[in-house]
Amino acid sequence: MKPIIKVEGLSKQFRINPSEAPSVRYDTLRESLVQAVRSPFKRFRQNGRTRDDMIWAIRDVSFEVMPGEVMGIIGPNGAGKSTLLKILSRIIEPTNGRAELYGRVASLLEVGTGFHPDLTGRENVFLNGAVLGMKRREIEDKFDEIVAFAGVEKFLDTPVKHYSSGMYVRLAFAVGAHLNPEILIVDEVLAVGDAAFQKKCLGKIDDVTRSGRTVLFVTHGLAMITHLCEHALLLIDGQVGKIGPAAEVVAYYNEM
Amino acid sequence: MTATDPTETETSGSCNRDGAPAHTQELPENPVVVIEASRRLIPLHLPDLWAYRELLYFLMWRDIKVRYKQTVLGALWAILQPLVTMIIFAYFFGILAKLPTEGIPYPVFFYTGLTLWTFFSNAVISGANSLVGNSNLITKVYFPRLIIPSAAIGAGLVDFGIASLLLVGLLAYYHFPVTWSYLLLAPLLVLTTMFSLGIGIWLSALNVRYRDVRYALPFLIQIWMFVSPIIYPSSLVPHEWRWMMILNPLTGIIEGYRACLFNHPLQWPALGYSTAVTILIFLFACYWFRKMERNFAEFI
Repeated sequence: MKPIIKVEGLSKQFRINPSEAPSVRYDTLRESLVQAVRSPFKRFRQNGRTRDDMIWAIRDVSFEVMPGEVMGIIGPNGAGKSTLLKILSRIIEPTNGRAELYGRVASLLEVGTGFHPDLTGRENVFLNGAVLGMKRREIEDKFDEIVAFAGVEKFLDTPVKHYSSGMYVRLAFAVGAHLNPEILIVDEVLAVGDAAFQKKCLGKIDDVTRSGRTVLFVTHGLAMITHLCEHALLLIDGQVGKIGPAAEVVAYYNEM
Repeated sequence: MTATDPTETETSGSCNRDGAPAHTQELPENPVVVIEASRRLIPLHLPDLWAYRELLYFLMWRDIKVRYKQTVLGALWAILQPLVTMIIFAYFFGILAKLPTEGIPYPVFFYTGLTLWTFFSNAVISGANSLVGNSNLITKVYFPRLIIPSAAIGAGLVDFGIASLLLVGLLAYYHFPVTWSYLLLAPLLVLTTMFSLGIGIWLSALNVRYRDVRYALPFLIQIWMFVSPIIYPSSLVPHEWRWMMILNPLTGIIEGYRACLFNHPLQWPALGYSTAVTILIFLFACYWFRKMERNFAEFI
């Protein structure tokens, strides 16, 4: 059988030392010019970067995911889980390696991306849906379902800045939960809201996994991994620590 | 999703790997998405842009909605800005300074230039700040980033349309006849939009890396207004210096607008030059943007 996600030797290098790197956050034109005048040959000599300024956020990660499989990604903080998801979501580009995806991808790295506080709940559902890659028709078709799921019918025409934080995340989650791609990439956005809504979210995720969709998701909730996923991938220091049946990987991680 | 035998789904549990469900056969031959480090030559990926056209529409719609939320006057602001400036200019430069305007009444002359200028300057400024202002989208979702500055600039077109309504009124009031040359207004508007897109897209990418753009821009825009024929006709400039005026692509465009509206002869060489420069700047901006785009999420 052919995998729906094929990742081969994926690596990502980041710069960490801002004062040395020629191009970093908030650098100004002046700094660049000064840098160029001070050491005009540096960029040729070292190919534009200094060796110790670089770290590998993920290094040589390879794995495959079969269609319909739910794969959990676990690991300690800073292991590169989010970097991996961001590369697969095409937000950042890998330094080396290759990934092939045989289906439409939607990623949910945060709830409510693109929500605008001044717009009403109704307007934000459309905006957020479009940002997540839904077609307008799709959003219209699912609109009632989304609103019912979030339970904010009464406040649809209120700007979301007046929402309680619970209402806000419920609506945001509801839009994301109604995405319908072949591959869904999710980062720790599950379980928002109060206990009752959390239960509803988990139920929804269960439905999604049963619908035959391929799901990749990052979480720290190990119980969730064993409950929802068949397979799990353990990342340690940017490398694959272990990959296999979820229960085994979780047990291995717990013993570390 | 093709219907799977319900019993099969039941027995195979939450992950039906062994059940070989029908959807596995639907896997395309070639990958839908290939992710790897980009090479030197970066394609523009026009099909990708087309696929996300609805997002362009939604972002434009958001910008327009948000702009006039919680305002009493709403879209009237689009008319007020150029209108008030026009009155001030007409008084100082027209009535007091008696600036020659090629026989065109002051209000129409200034308002024509000002609506165009308001569109251009707002488009460039909001375009340049658009990526930085939407950093939350850039770090969390994928879509062709060109959509962000394009939406910011496109949203300005609506304001331009509203402001133009008053222009129509002014033209009627001063009994300017409707002529065939009005047909040229559409291509001129396309040219203006393309020029704004070129500058806005380029500056938006530059702004991600160099926040200097944000501070330098208002100042540069102000200077640009004085070297463009907004508050004076370019015929006012001594003949031997005219070529310098025309170097500014906006000169050809603005003079072109006036020539169409007031049925004056068109300066084809100036307009041709503006068109050529606009296309070059636009292509250069797109290329530059695509080159910078892959690092946006890291630098923003």
